Amino acid sequence: MALVARIAAQDARALGELYDAYGRVVFGVGFRIAGSPEAAEEVAQDVFQAVWRQARSYRAERGSVRTWLLAIARNAAIDWGRTHGRRSNREYSLDAAPGLVAEVQVEERVIASLRAERIRVAVRMLPTEQRDVVALAFWGGLSQTEIAARAGIPLGTVKSRIRLGMEKLRERLGPGGEE
Amino acid sequence: MTDHPSEDLAAYAIGALDRAERAAVDAHLPTCAACRADLEALGDVAWSLAESASLDPPARTRGRLLDGVRSSRSREEPPLVALWRALTRPVPIAIPVALAVAVAFALVGLREARTDADAYARAVAGVADGRVVALAPTSDGTARGALVVPSSGSPYLILQLPAAPAGKTWEAWVIRGERPLAAGITGERSGLVTLVLSQALVPGDVVAVTLEEAGGVAVPRGQPVLLGKT
Repeated sequence: MALVARIAAQDARALGELYDAYGRVVFGVGFRIAGSPEAAEEVAQDVFQAVWRQARSYRAERGSVRTWLLAIARNAAIDWGRTHGRRSNREYSLDAAPGLVAEVQVEERVIASLRAERIRVAVRMLPTEQRDVVALAFWGGLSQTEIAARAGIPLGTVKSRIRLGMEKLRERLGPGGEE
Repeated sequence: MTDHPSEDLAAYAIGALDRAERAAVDAHLPTCAACRADLEALGDVAWSLAESASLDPPARTRGRLLDGVRSSRSREEPPLVALWRALTRPVPIAIPVALAVAVAFALVGLREARTDADAYARAVAGVADGRVVALAPTSDGTARGALVVPSSGSPYLILQLPAAPAGKTWEAWVIRGERPLAAGITGERSGLVTLVLSQALVPGDVVAVTLEEAGGVAVPRGQPVLLGKT
């Protein structure tokens, strides 16, 4: 909280610290959702500028800084995609999008951290139908209702798949979760 | 109490709830520590998903960001707050244009008409086909505008605005629910212009015009100068 309070007081160095801690995640979210490094950079700029302007509205009791930042980042990236034309929904997968990421790996922008790999493994272990709905929601910006309509499956089914998928990830990734 | 939104928390954490469902969770959370704790854990999962996509941004991004905020260092109120506040003011209702004027809709010609004021009035009156929604000015400025929703084809704005200051542009927005969608920019010159919206409209959308950085931005920052509800 101290960091966000300093940002609220317009301390640019504090914003730099937040960027150092979370810039890679924000940029990665922008890349996955908006689809290109250029778009991701624009999204990252928008996100941290929004943080700079909106830090005063952050309330710790409503959630962690990470959760707050992630909401801003997803919204900015989804908005970017809606404004500039985004990739079709079938391209949203919870697996690393191989074609897109491979290109970046060549440029050595990807650091395949152990943590990221552990998450990917947990995601891969989900049943496909759970993985797909979570991906459409998280990366595609679709609501459960929209997913149900597009996939032609009952809303209740979408809801339970999201819930089960997220619960499994929570078990595997949370404290004491299996490696 | 039995109505914990437990079933919805996972979807809430990844932004998959519809607005009404989200509002219900939002209303419940302040009253329930158990659901807050649950959501915090699910929020960590969402963060993990984001983390798994981490990528190094170009090195220049950090410097650009910090240069930008240092030079602005403004204490303006958060942009969306400004926009929503403006939205709470009354906006005019749709004025169906019954007069099917036999004048061809020729704004290009009208742009050169005697005065801008005349041109604006004629342009709006000249809309022979479609629905016209007057946009309410939200300050005492000189901005005037109308949204035209033709029976076929893209909706557009007829705008009379002062020239945008150097480095700025007028940007149109379609605001759907709480989400502003960039809908086009205009603005180097003053006077009468039309701006075809790059977003389709659905009933209930709000259309706004704000002053933004040249080239347009993805999220509105300026105060709206014009507002109307479709």
